[in-house]
Amino acid sequence: MTTGENPFGELIQEYIVECLPLAEQVGDAFVELERRWREGDAGNDLLRQLKGPLHTVKGNSAMMGLTVQQSVAHALEDICAMLASAPTPNEKMAGLLVSGSGLLIELVKNAAGDPDSDRVAQFLKRAASFRAPAPDSAESSAQAERRQTDRRAVNTWSAAGALSSNVIRVDFRRLDAMLEVLGEGMIEQAAVADHYRVLAAKIGATAELADLDRALAAVQKTFKQLEGILMETRLIPISTVFGRFPRLVRELAQARQKQVRVITSGGEIPLDKAVLDRMGEPLVHLLTNAVVHGIETPDERTQAGKGAEGTLILRASSESGRIVIRISDDGRGLDEARILAKAQSLGLEVSATDAAQVHSLIFLPGFSTAEQVSQLAGRGVGLDVVSNTIHELGGTIEVESRAGRGVTFTLGLPLTLAIIRSLIVEVDRERFAVPMNHVAATVRTEPDTIHSVNQKGVALWRGSPIHVSDGGALLGTAAAANPSRRFYVVISMGNRRRGILVDRLIGHQDIVVKSLDPTLGRPEVVSGTTILGDGRVACILDSVRLLEQRMSA
Amino acid sequence: MSAAPQPDRSDGLLHFADELQGVSSVPEAAVPGPELHLVTFGLDREEFGIPIGQVREVIRVTDITRVPQARQHVRGVTNLRGRVLAVVEIRTRMGLPPAEITPRSRIVVVAVHDRILGILVDTVSQVVKVPVQTVAPAPEEVLSANTDYISGVARWNSRLIILLDLEKLLLLPE
Repeated sequence: MTTGENPFGELIQEYIVECLPLAEQVGDAFVELERRWREGDAGNDLLRQLKGPLHTVKGNSAMMGLTVQQSVAHALEDICAMLASAPTPNEKMAGLLVSGSGLLIELVKNAAGDPDSDRVAQFLKRAASFRAPAPDSAESSAQAERRQTDRRAVNTWSAAGALSSNVIRVDFRRLDAMLEVLGEGMIEQAAVADHYRVLAAKIGATAELADLDRALAAVQKTFKQLEGILMETRLIPISTVFGRFPRLVRELAQARQKQVRVITSGGEIPLDKAVLDRMGEPLVHLLTNAVVHGIETPDERTQAGKGAEGTLILRASSESGRIVIRISDDGRGLDEARILAKAQSLGLEVSATDAAQVHSLIFLPGFSTAEQVSQLAGRGVGLDVVSNTIHELGGTIEVESRAGRGVTFTLGLPLTLAIIRSLIVEVDRERFAVPMNHVAATVRTEPDTIHSVNQKGVALWRGSPIHVSDGGALLGTAAAANPSRRFYVVISMGNRRRGILVDRLIGHQDIVVKSLDPTLGRPEVVSGTTILGDGRVACILDSVRLLEQRMSA
Repeated sequence: MSAAPQPDRSDGLLHFADELQGVSSVPEAAVPGPELHLVTFGLDREEFGIPIGQVREVIRVTDITRVPQARQHVRGVTNLRGRVLAVVEIRTRMGLPPAEITPRSRIVVVAVHDRILGILVDTVSQVVKVPVQTVAPAPEEVLSANTDYISGVARWNSRLIILLDLEKLLLLPE
């Protein structure tokens, strides 16, 4: 292959789409193989599993005339065959396999460009030095296995052929554009519904208006269906991001003479691609922190009575309409003393006895306690960046740490970003959207239902006292609290609750989220904006931050 | 940011305008030199100009939604054909009281670096071409530490147009 003109055009993309996951699968398997070897297991089942993907990559590369990719895949295949008959589990061999699969991934990814021929030559030379002539007795079984693999490859091809009639590849930007247009359609539909209500109020109930109402409801239902289908189309499994992590962690750990095992689960859980794309970086950041700062060296671990190998667990699960990702390590835990010292140097008042409060400090800007600036972590880009990204996505992040036992980060993410169901409220004639996912209830205020405790509003909601704040004071629409507001919205997350007093409840609406323009600065209580049916812009309130806002009213 | 020094500044500029008027009796060059293509707008008694290349359009003011806890000098957001446009209150940025929306109020939609944003102005006058040679630095006496967004003044007919550096005016430090 030469640069510039690519005789294969679109075909090369198809090659990459098909072979990249296979190459990555091979890479993951080698990392796992290395671990098994350390435990004294030859990992023959893994070696067998590897043959199919390697063979397919080799075959497809040959078909495309990508001789470099072909020869690297071939070399790895040969070594696997050799290992199956004559296991030689040692660190050098593991290193060769992992670096070889890394090279293969690079080569497949950049199949359209020029390969790094020095690296390839180096690898092939090293690979050749490991290849020993297989003993005769193993020859026949290796051949039989090869035949079997060939058959399997044929099966894979025919399966792919059968699929191709139903599956097409679409540029994700088209799905984005479709969603954008759908969003506009939904706004226009809401505008028509607004006009309808004005008209109905003017001329009263007529048969024609009832027909119009039914037609409008049908349009709304159709839009909802279309939205559901489109949202489903945008979902991809989390494993597309998780899959990169075992190799990443291995590299990080090796550079620090640490042993870390990665366990992932829930990779099949689907998430909107737009959310997933933005999650890669924060997750890498958290994993890097865990390996660099959390998990101890084998010596330290043995002294602490733990196994020399640390464990990193990545778990995704679906919990009540949200995706929860937990990242746990079994390292030393957060250094509370250092966090407190840092807090003091920044002039923050923190109660040392409230562990949760101390731990949550790590999300503040500029709060990196890393002793030394390393190449991979602690560059001053701290967890505040991670926390900001998660909040921008409408998610939450929490940390739990136990000294000597490890740290768990829990990320809660919305399934999808673009359209969210919201409650539209009015405060001092300004309209705001409150995302429904944290609205527990709306309550009409009766006289004397809001009590005063320490000059702050308190209401009894479902038998428990909750803090009720004036929406106008909170959002700056009024200088002082207005006792005549008729409703309060109960926002709830975990065991925290708060009521926000508003003037009117306008209704529920699916709103299209527009991100906040950086010109506006960083308003804490606003997560984005949206355009309402009447064409006016409304701010979307950030329920999580509303719960945290301190205010006097 | 008190309003007190304001009259001084405009008086200074007017005085400077008078001076320029005196100078303008010098005959104009026969061949017109390079020109600045400006969109001008008014705030109180002063007239400002920004390069037309940075102006996307000028729109009437409809609803501007206030954004809670937004940065200083932000009036709010408005709907520009389905796009949410941030509107900057440049009057307060310049030390003037906030604008009152009148039928003559306009939002000038400008592009600064990669950002599109609106600036709320009292009136939009017109598009003018000003010979580059009529541009002079504003007299130091009328400037202050926080007026570095004034890049100069241009004489046009009998008017004096204050030239604005939008980057310095609008891209406030985070």
